Amino acid sequence: MKRMQSVFSVCFVVLVFSANAQKNNLFPKKDDPLHVRVEMFDQLMRDNHWNEGVFMQQVIFPPAGLEKPLVGSQEDVCGVTAEYLAGYSHMYHATKDPKAREYADKVFAGIEQLERVTGVPGVVARSFNKTDKPLWHEQVYFFSTEWHASKSMPGYRWQGDLSSDKFVDLCYGVSTYFDLCADDEHKARAAAFIDRFVGRCLDHNFKLVDYDGKMTLWGNFCPDLPHEPLNALEMLAGLRTAYHMTGKPRYLSSYQMLIERYHYDEQAMFAKVLFPKEWTVPWDDHLAAKSYWQLLRYETDPLLLNRYRTAMNRHWWDWKNSDFKRDIEIWYHMLYQVLTGEQVVGEKCLDAAKGMWGFDRVKGTFNVPQEDGTMKKIESELEENSTDMFVTYWFGRDLGFIDAEW
Amino acid sequence: MRRLPILSAVGLAILFLAVDSPNTIPTPPSEMVYVPAGPFTMGSNFGDTDESPEHLATTKAYFIDKYEVSNADFKKFDPAFIYKDGNDNHACIVTWEQAATYAKSVGKRLPTEEEWEKAARGTDARLYPWGDSWDATFVAWDETIPRGGTIMNASSPYGCFDMAGGVREWTDSWYKPYAGNEVGCESYGEQFKVCRGGSHFCDPFSFRSSHRFYLPTNTTGNYYTGFRCVKDLE
Repeated sequence: MKRMQSVFSVCFVVLVFSANAQKNNLFPKKDDPLHVRVEMFDQLMRDNHWNEGVFMQQVIFPPAGLEKPLVGSQEDVCGVTAEYLAGYSHMYHATKDPKAREYADKVFAGIEQLERVTGVPGVVARSFNKTDKPLWHEQVYFFSTEWHASKSMPGYRWQGDLSSDKFVDLCYGVSTYFDLCADDEHKARAAAFIDRFVGRCLDHNFKLVDYDGKMTLWGNFCPDLPHEPLNALEMLAGLRTAYHMTGKPRYLSSYQMLIERYHYDEQAMFAKVLFPKEWTVPWDDHLAAKSYWQLLRYETDPLLLNRYRTAMNRHWWDWKNSDFKRDIEIWYHMLYQVLTGEQVVGEKCLDAAKGMWGFDRVKGTFNVPQEDGTMKKIESELEENSTDMFVTYWFGRDLGFIDAEW
Repeated sequence: MRRLPILSAVGLAILFLAVDSPNTIPTPPSEMVYVPAGPFTMGSNFGDTDESPEHLATTKAYFIDKYEVSNADFKKFDPAFIYKDGNDNHACIVTWEQAATYAKSVGKRLPTEEEWEKAARGTDARLYPWGDSWDATFVAWDETIPRGGTIMNASSPYGCFDMAGGVREWTDSWYKPYAGNEVGCESYGEQFKVCRGGSHFCDPFSFRSSHRFYLPTNTTGNYYTGFRCVKDLE
């Protein structure tokens, strides 16, 4: 009888030991000014996490597997990248620095590549790697059977099974880019991307459908099937965004149909799970917040605005007591103030903003599958990402909450 | 909620003839339930394309495990199997090859897709084992919920528990299109085995009794995958 770990035996790994493979080891000091910290973490991300236009959510440095620092959990790469696109867009809008626009354009091209690598218009990968053979992390993290060899880009492998979370991230990131940063050519490309991505969802009865024709594990916005109230909110935001960016009537009529026939606006009011407490998860708050950012700016109907505001109040009931342990909670307060006009951003929130920190590089031990089917424990360094800090900072700078001198 | 009961008059007649009288219902082995022979509605026209067309399928009578195979039972079979002490729950992260070997070792086998789906939804074309309503309290939502320990504690029409949620359950069937399904898919053929019932980490869509999922026989792909067995009547 094989042991459980033998499921990883199909993975072939060549360990390459190379010292200092990470390009950038320059971390800010804790007492550096906020703008210096943000700039240095941004540089660390661009140097160590960059992968042909997308940002790796997590990087495990050599010797744990590869000669370059691009190995780690990758299921949220698409989301982190879309968040960075929003961050660079706010940076450009706040500073008009052409460098910010250049970064944003490159990141948007990375998102286009996440679609191109799948070979199916409107199907977007969670992540990709330039490699002919499976990498060890494919077998260890997330769901190994969701990695595929690309037919449209030979020499690449991509991870499928995109979730509703990434639907929100992409609509949020690309629409923020469209609104605040993109030039005319890139506006057209951004609109075309959203048209393919959201349009495919519509063509499949409001479901995210993978390359094999099956709905993805978490891709259900369908009115004919049971779904979570949060997903109703997310689909309304996606459709309103697609209409805003493309002007195509099909998105507005679908949006209206979901409201009038299926009462998605009412369902959306319950997007925040308050009870029981064990069923509340922080990332749902983040998804809802991004959806509100789109809906409350693009919608003009006072009745619908009232509904969405009511939904956000349910979130605010929880957010108002935030201890700001996570940087993104600062963003929730700023967002709520921008969208409602209520003066809720106080001293505690701004102090927390001044203290934001990206990530520390930590040591970890990783179970790396070997050719013979066994596992080998290898110690290596690991970096998470500074997405929450980056997005919160540039949103705060752009909307006047954060001073450039801090 | 939409469903299309397609039991035709002919189907109903077959069903009527197939119903056992109380005197003829065989006593199931320990921890198993009896499923009578006869037709049932299989598939769905409203799920993934691989679930269509909704159609009548028929099974012989069989016994099926009331619960998913447990950690403790699986460890008796495979001493190398690792699970947290005191976690008296379903065996999880089990490959098809392991599940099939286990079933054989206890004088049982894995269910076909038809057997699994009939045991889960009965003959009235319901969406879920308990009916057509959805609520998270019906399913084993995470590892803290033991076998047969959901809040609603609802069983299927034949008395099986956790046929939605818990772990995805292996069947003996290859992933192939149903007769009359003309939507192509490169995954069809004798490459993958079908799993049913969704798991802890799933959308309500995957908990529907007609939902199909597929995996290679030698890996679970890190999905929460386990199984239950069937036994033929002697």
